[in-house]
Parts: sequence; structure tokens; C-alpha cells
Amino acid sequence: MSADDSSLVRCPSCGENAAPRARFCENCGTPLGSSGASVPSEVTLEMAPTVVDPDPATGDTSGRRSCGACGGTIAPDGYCADCGTPGQSERDHFEERPAEWVAGVCDRGVRHPRNEDAMALATSGTFAALVVCDGVSSAPDSDVASLAASRAARDVLVAYGPEGASSVVGATSRRIAGWTDAMVAASRAAGQAVRGAAEQLAATKGKDVADDPPSCTFVAAVVDHDLIVAGWLGDSRVYWLPDSGQPDSAQPEQLSVDDSWAQEMIAAGVPRAQAETSPQAHAITRWLGPDAPDTDARCAATVPSGPGWLLVCSDGLWNYCSDAHEMSDLVRRFATSGDPHTTAAALVRWANAQGGRDNITAALARVSPTVTEQR
Amino acid sequence: MAEFSAEVFQNEFLSDGATDVHAVVSVTCTGAGAGGGAGVSTGGPGGVAEIVAVDTSGSMQGRNMEAAKHAAAVAVDQIPDGTLFAIVGGSHVATRIFPYPNARVPMVAMELGARNEAKRAISTMSASGGTAISSWLRLADDLFATVPAAQKHLILLTDGKNESEPTMHLDRMIADVTGHFQCDARGVGDRWVVEELRKISTALLGTVDLIARPEDIAEDFSALVRKSMARGVAAVDLRVWAPQGSEVLFVKQVAPEVDDLTGRRTQVNALTSGYPTGAWADETREYHVAVRVPAKPVGSEQLAARVQVAVGDEVTASGLVKAKWSDDSTLTARISPEVAHYTGQAELASAIQEGLAAKAAGDEATATVKLGRAVQLAAETGNDDATSRLRKIVEVDNEEAGTVRLKRNTAKLDEMALDTASTKTTRVRRA
Repeated sequence: MSADDSSLVRCPSCGENAAPRARFCENCGTPLGSSGASVPSEVTLEMAPTVVDPDPATGDTSGRRSCGACGGTIAPDGYCADCGTPGQSERDHFEERPAEWVAGVCDRGVRHPRNEDAMALATSGTFAALVVCDGVSSAPDSDVASLAASRAARDVLVAYGPEGASSVVGATSRRIAGWTDAMVAASRAAGQAVRGAAEQLAATKGKDVADDPPSCTFVAAVVDHDLIVAGWLGDSRVYWLPDSGQPDSAQPEQLSVDDSWAQEMIAAGVPRAQAETSPQAHAITRWLGPDAPDTDARCAATVPSGPGWLLVCSDGLWNYCSDAHEMSDLVRRFATSGDPHTTAAALVRWANAQGGRDNITAALARVSPTVTEQR
Repeated sequence: MAEFSAEVFQNEFLSDGATDVHAVVSVTCTGAGAGGGAGVSTGGPGGVAEIVAVDTSGSMQGRNMEAAKHAAAVAVDQIPDGTLFAIVGGSHVATRIFPYPNARVPMVAMELGARNEAKRAISTMSASGGTAISSWLRLADDLFATVPAAQKHLILLTDGKNESEPTMHLDRMIADVTGHFQCDARGVGDRWVVEELRKISTALLGTVDLIARPEDIAEDFSALVRKSMARGVAAVDLRVWAPQGSEVLFVKQVAPEVDDLTGRRTQVNALTSGYPTGAWADETREYHVAVRVPAKPVGSEQLAARVQVAVGDEVTASGLVKAKWSDDSTLTARISPEVAHYTGQAELASAIQEGLAAKAAGDEATATVKLGRAVQLAAETGNDDATSRLRKIVEVDNEEAGTVRLKRNTAKLDEMALDTASTKTTRVRRA
């Protein structure tokens, strides 16, 4: 997504319009500009921030690193000892699994030199918060911004959760209102976090924060017992994918509505397929960052009538499978084990196999209202 | 303590679907120290053992024999005190000249008395009999086997064809002694066969050269001994790790000489091959490594090879050969200048050898084409020595196009000089 769609540069490879100073095409990942084309890897390696592995299971960031491709060991020279695949930094690929029914995988993909997607998950009993932020690759340091944003938003949502300071309680309609407020609070906190990170980075680099500020999208979903609430800015998405065999009303649906140029075209009557493949499809109209006009998430809620999968993802996944019905089929294909962790990992692998043109994040919650009531 | 460093030259960018990764790896050794000295980091018994084997067949009679005896004496002068040594005379059988055949020890440490006695023994050598080089190698191997030296080096001098035994015998003996010692082989005059000595020196990690005039033997021997003594690191292996599912296409030394190591592969582990490179002095050698890996999607990166220098079992230097798939043809179309240069030099060596072989077999058409290609490659890669040697064999009509005519009545020595020097390469000029 491009935060700025004025004075667009055209990608020489696919024709997608890119923001000025964009280093990579958002659509196909082709390096843009003369400086980007010659030595992309060296430059980005130096700039890649070191972010510790947020793996909740072990908390271990040192010691043996395993290869994402074959499971072998990453040698001290940074490549797998068996298959030679470059070892990924913890920022390039990380996974979270706060509960058996909630997990996510965040991955650099194939084309982009670093992972500007971020993800933060939390659970407590039948409550879960899933946050995904997708850094805008036309701005440097968006990987730092997105991670700060996702974690800040998650912490706010947890504060509204059952064990938080300001628990959302009451009847369904009251809780919908409560979670809508929580979402806006979370997106504002995330916006603050991006601003804070941007100021800190600008200070260390001796630059003005207004010059090329980092920015990212925001999407979050909360599972509160029998209720799902989604909130977003930009084009990262929440899908609700009910299991088959339920009443006709329980159809797969995209809860979020993209803040994007493509979505505006669709609203104006252009067919979805055409709008999403147009050169400016990925230009987003709302985002988080120092230059964002407003940071209040738009929200949507649903009360599932039966079990299903809640998917929170970045466009690195949905670009290959946009339609909710197709996404439902895809998730079901990989969800045979019923485990969100292996399913999310399979979705990321699948997107990489499709070309991995963007960073990929897939966070899943296995929602089963009847089961959760017994807990 | 010797230090090794490895530098990789390559274009790591591959086009979509490409699978072959080429790189030139430049390996440099510094601080090797003296032979058998502090530089030896293999542990175990250190020290150097040197054997000089001189052809004493009937054909050596006269100037050659006298020159060879003088050269052996000069070599004995150059061998430093403390070095274990022996002198072998070779005809259709091999004889230990010194230590005397009745001596209790097969090799002795050099000191003043031994040096004088060895020179006296050398002066008694006389020429008679045929030539069976396998027997010389067998005796040298037997003698070396009795000493614990870390470095074993043989200088072998002949003036004739290995005519007293079937080729098979020599081939089998070469295979038997490979890995036991290193051997530099020298031919004097124009009646020996380059291919025979090259077989020996290649397998035994040494060099082959032509000594046109007998009076030059002494100087050459003296240089060989000095060079051998300067090799402070006993046994170095080049190791090539390649990823699962890949194939090492070839591993060639390309500087200072072309030497295809591919056939000398030993298995280090499931993914790593080892190639012996013998003893090292302070020097730089360059290797061309080619690996075929399965193609990956555009944007992917892959380590195609780890090229390592192992002294004993210890890896002392490592270079990484990478592959990055790109759809940017300005990146993928580039050929590394090092890879291009040495690819040309390796082709030059085979063009010369094949051209001369065709000429010897009377196939003038093939000889003309091959030597023409050689002239072209020598010019392209700036190998002026090869160019001047080629011009003694062919008339060059057009260097750029590689059109030549074979000269009539060329000197046999000029052809042999071209042949023995064919593997010598010029280094790529680096900015």
C-alpha cells in the first residue's frame, strides 16, 4: 500500500503505480529506482533493526536457529547447514501461539528484503485479541513502526479483556459498543506508538520526523466469548469463515472493509476482480503514522451461529485469495488438523509458493461458541 | 602460524529458472613458515623428507648423465640440515644410491658428513638399462613409508619414454602412491613424453616442466628444493559443501596452473567433498567451482556452496558462493570477470593439449582449428607467454578470429614447451 498516491511512479515490471521514493513495487516486489535496483540487499541488511524473537513458548532468542525451509540448523555463516537457505532473523519470521486455539505466523515472504508486517496476539480464557499491522514499504523503518503499533494495540485490547483494568462486560449489544470503543482506543494507541517510534528513529538519524515517516496499516479482531469485533485502518483484513453444514446465513465473510482505492472503486460499482488488479489497487486511503489524518479504527461486529475460523491477515496472503468463499476453501484445505498454528504456517507457505511477493501474516482463532461455553 | 583466507568472485544473480552457479575462489596462505616448521598445524610428527630420483637409463649416457649428477649434487647442497633425504637412481629398476644400499637406515637426516657422502655416491652413478618409472615411484614410496615426516617430496628427472613396462603398470603405481607424497617431474631433452610425466605430477600434486638444456637442470633442482622447503603447511584440503539436492559440476584449480580436482573428490560428509591440494607455502591459488542447484523463485536467495580450506580436520578459511534469482537482466547477464577469465584460460589449456595431440596424430585439420582457438583465447585472456609459444608452432593469419596455419618443420622442443606450459595461467587483472 502506498501512503501517498500523488505524483506516482510506475513499476517498470508490472505497471503498478508506486509512491515517490518507494523502494519496491507493492504489487510485484520489483526494486524501484536506480539506487534500489543495484544493491538492494546490502543496504537493507545494514538498516535491518534487531528485534528480539517474541516467541512466547520458549522466550529463547539465542542458541540453535532452525531453517524455515527444511528444519535444519542455521550455521554461524547465516545459512542452513543442509539446504543453504538463508537463515531468517527473528524479525523476518516469527510465530506466536498464546493458546491452543489461537496462533499466527508472520513472514518476510520471498520478494521483499525484510519483513515489515507485524503481529501481536493475546488470549485469556475465551477471550482473544489478534492484531496485524502491515508496514508501508515505501517508507523506511516501517518494520519498526508496525511492530510497535501491533504490540501497543494488543496491550490496549487486553486491558479491555476479562482480566484487564476496564473489562468490557454486559449483554451482547453493550459489549459491541464497549469493544468498538476499545478498538478505537487500540488504534489510537497504535498510532501513538508509530509516532513515538518515528520520532525516536528520526532523532537517532538526525532527521526530521516529517521526512519519509514510517507508517503501517492496522487490523485487529477480538473474540469475546460469543462475539467477534473487528477494527481496521487500511487494507489488512479480518475474515470470519464459519464451518460448513450451518444455516445458509452462516456464509464466509470479510468483516473488514478495505480503506483502499480498490475498495472505493468497488463501492462505485467497478467489479471486484477488475478493481483489485488495477494499477492503483493497493493505494490505501487510511493508515497509521505521523502523517495520518486520523487514527480511529472503523469497526464491524458479528455473532457467530456456530464454529468457524477467524482469520486476521495482511495483503501478502489475501492478494492470492481475496474472495471470502475462496479464502474459506483455502483455510479449510489446510485446517484438517484443527490446529491454528499448523494452519497459519501452511497458509504462509502457500502464499510463498504463489510467489511471496509481499510480507505475509496469517493469524487464526478457532472459534467454537458451544465448546467455549463449557470452559 | 599459517593463516588462510578465501575470497569469492562471482555474479550471484541468476535469471529465472537458471541452475548453474559459478565462482572463482581465491585462497591465500600467509605465515606458512619453513617446511616442517612452526607452520605445520596438523600435529603429529613434523619435518620434511626429500627424495631426488634421477634417470640412469642407457639413454642418459653422456652430457645428460653428467648434468643430472651435477644437478643432484646441487640439490643435496640446497637441502637444509635436519631434512630426511635419499637419492634414487632409476632405470628399468630403481636403486637406492644414498644412503648406500647396505646402510641400516633407508633415509638419513642431512648434515655435513651425509651431504659429502651423498655427493660421492651421486658421482658414482652411471647410465645403463631401460626405463620403468613405476619402479622408481615404488622405491620412493617404500623409502618415504619408513619416515614420519609430515611433508614428503620427490623430484623426478627423466630424459626418455617409459618404455620398459606397459603403461598400465605406471598407471597402477601412480594410483597406489597417490596421497603418500608430492612429486615434481622434469623432463630433459626432447625424447620424453609430456603426457606421461603430467600424469604423475598431476596425481601427485606437483608440476611438470621441460628442461631444454642439461646445464639448466641444476638451477631447476635448486629452485624445486627451495620451493619444497618453503611449504610450511603440510597437507591442505579444499572442501566444497553444496546444499542438499545439488550437484558439484566441477572443482578446478585455475591459478597458477589449471588442474582439474573434480576426479580427486573424497567424501567428507554427506554434503561436503574434499580435494587434496598438497603442501602450501606463502602463496595464492585460485579455484573455479561450479555447482548446479535446483532453481528457486525469483527473489529467493540460496547458498550454493561453502568453499573451505581445511588443514588436517580444522577448517581455517571459508568462502560463501551464493545464488540470488532475479528477473533484472542487467544483474543476471553480467559474468564475473574472474570466472570469464579463468574459463578462457582453462579452455586455452585444453585447446593447446588437444591441438598438439591432433598434430602428433597427423590430424592437421583438427590441430589447425584447436591451435587457432588457442591463439584466440591466449589473446583474449592476455596470456602473452602462451601467445609467443603458440607462434613458434603456427603462423597466425588473424589473432582475433583464430585463423592459423600449422608451421612446417617446427622444433620438437617448442611443441613440448608449449605442451608443458599449457596449464600455466595468467591471473586476472583486478582493479
